[in-house]
Amino acid sequence: MKDEVRTLPKAYHDAIEHWQRHNFPDYPKLAEEWDRFFPKDEPFCLCAKIAEDIPNEIEVGDRKGQQKALAPKELPEEAAKHLLTAIKAQASTEFGSIQQHQGTLARAQEPQDHAWALRVMAEELRHGYQMVHLLTSADWSPVTDTKAADMVEEILSMQTGSHVLAAFNLEYDSFLDNVVFAAFIDRVGKYQLTMQKISAYKPYASSMPPMLREEAFHLAAGVIPLRRWVEAAARGDGYITISDIQKAIGKWFGRGLEMFGDERGGQTNVKYGLKDMANREAQDMYIDELQRMLDDLNERYVRARFAGVGRDEAEKRFTRIKAGETVDGVRPEDLLRLPDRRFFRRRGEFAYQMVGAHGEAFTDVEKYIAHVLANLPEAYRASIDVKHWADLQRKVTRGEMPLKEAINSMPRLARMGGGCPCAKSVRWVQESSAS
Amino acid sequence: MNELDIEGICRIDERITGRYRPDVWEQRTAYYLRRDPDSSQVAEIDGRVVGFMLGEVRGGEFGLEEPTGWVEFFGVDPSAREKGVGRRLIEALLGHFRSKGAHVARTMVASGDKEIASFIAAMGFVPAPVTALEKRL
Repeated sequence: MKDEVRTLPKAYHDAIEHWQRHNFPDYPKLAEEWDRFFPKDEPFCLCAKIAEDIPNEIEVGDRKGQQKALAPKELPEEAAKHLLTAIKAQASTEFGSIQQHQGTLARAQEPQDHAWALRVMAEELRHGYQMVHLLTSADWSPVTDTKAADMVEEILSMQTGSHVLAAFNLEYDSFLDNVVFAAFIDRVGKYQLTMQKISAYKPYASSMPPMLREEAFHLAAGVIPLRRWVEAAARGDGYITISDIQKAIGKWFGRGLEMFGDERGGQTNVKYGLKDMANREAQDMYIDELQRMLDDLNERYVRARFAGVGRDEAEKRFTRIKAGETVDGVRPEDLLRLPDRRFFRRRGEFAYQMVGAHGEAFTDVEKYIAHVLANLPEAYRASIDVKHWADLQRKVTRGEMPLKEAINSMPRLARMGGGCPCAKSVRWVQESSAS
Repeated sequence: MNELDIEGICRIDERITGRYRPDVWEQRTAYYLRRDPDSSQVAEIDGRVVGFMLGEVRGGEFGLEEPTGWVEFFGVDPSAREKGVGRRLIEALLGHFRSKGAHVARTMVASGDKEIASFIAAMGFVPAPVTALEKRL
């Protein structure tokens, strides 16, 4: 079944193209690279896609079996408020990830990696377009006084540092971040889209399948370069070490977990029929899937380290190393490991608990900060984000700041006036405390 | 099928052909994932990939204008054969082809590959009124 294709009214379409020129200047290169890397694929379309085979009845929650809403006013008011918040947050992530990717896109070592990342960015732009379509094609006045145009302007005005979720406020340090982000953070996106496929708001549910199909490639654009890099690292002829990848995982894993929301929450979304899983349940599945991904990468690493042995023997050796044994010089610590879910957390159930990468408990805050820093990429350690976290960790541990205040605090940039970063009237200032 | 199935597919290919070709299967998997990730199928037993079948619906090739479900790559781990894995894979793939509007599925089998030919025939495929031709270059 084909998706229905929709274009935004000209003003909004133009606004997104304007945003693209400022924030995604490499976008025109996609057309140049398409025929080389995606010769059989349909040309990229900056449009909204609506799946047609979506059930009409609500699938989960208190109103299960009733008709799905076609307009916000048909939802309970609280549900519509939740939904609007989710759409705006999702829009922020789509545009935010492009801004992050753009910073290091040109540093890709392989033309294919560059083309794949470029396509991922373009499809994120389409996903942002899809969210703007949801915001502008319906009447949200029952739950907000903000006009659609103002909601769109707010979203398109966000920069790295002022997005809704922390994962989209971190600068990339190298192309390694483009790839690890795709493997870890886009995977959270896949979970969110999958959960929202059953949304009680039919236009939202109908938006999910086309986005999910594109997201499948985004995950491959993360995992496949990683597979190549671990093999090159094992052979000793690569440029990216296992330690580099491990530290990038340390940077992104906690932020990915926090994208699910607090581990203890999410039941309201299920009750309203907006998602089919609460936060912890989805997060547990995500962690299991990441473990499978790391097993896959580690198996390939071990296979390359023991190039002279067959598959069955290499698999046996991998099992022994994973179980803690050193085999012919390959140590368990040579493999990639998923940090403890409580490590370097800033939101959720485990926020600011001093738990190390391997689950070890810390009581001395300076030792904990040193431990976290040792597990993060060097360039990231020099960022305002890490300094901000360390300052908060100290204050929370010493009882100088309530946990809730620390959880809500981010090194945000606040936009001061103006309609677009190209306007001279725009200024960005760092807020002293978070909203 | 998803990106985490690549090594499982490599394993099956290696057991069948004796060659470890991760680069080949990464490229193929990426192709099918970006074209239609719901189409290609893998079979698992106890969480381990034991079979795969890659294909998609395309139209317009070789003058065949109607939407056609192409069955292009498949393999079943030798240790998992005779368990109906291949049948279930192809049923899932053909079901997806139907949902995408295809009324015909096509594939090609090397004339010397009796095992594959026998499986494909058992799945209801019959010789098509087209001839595969080649010219050595």
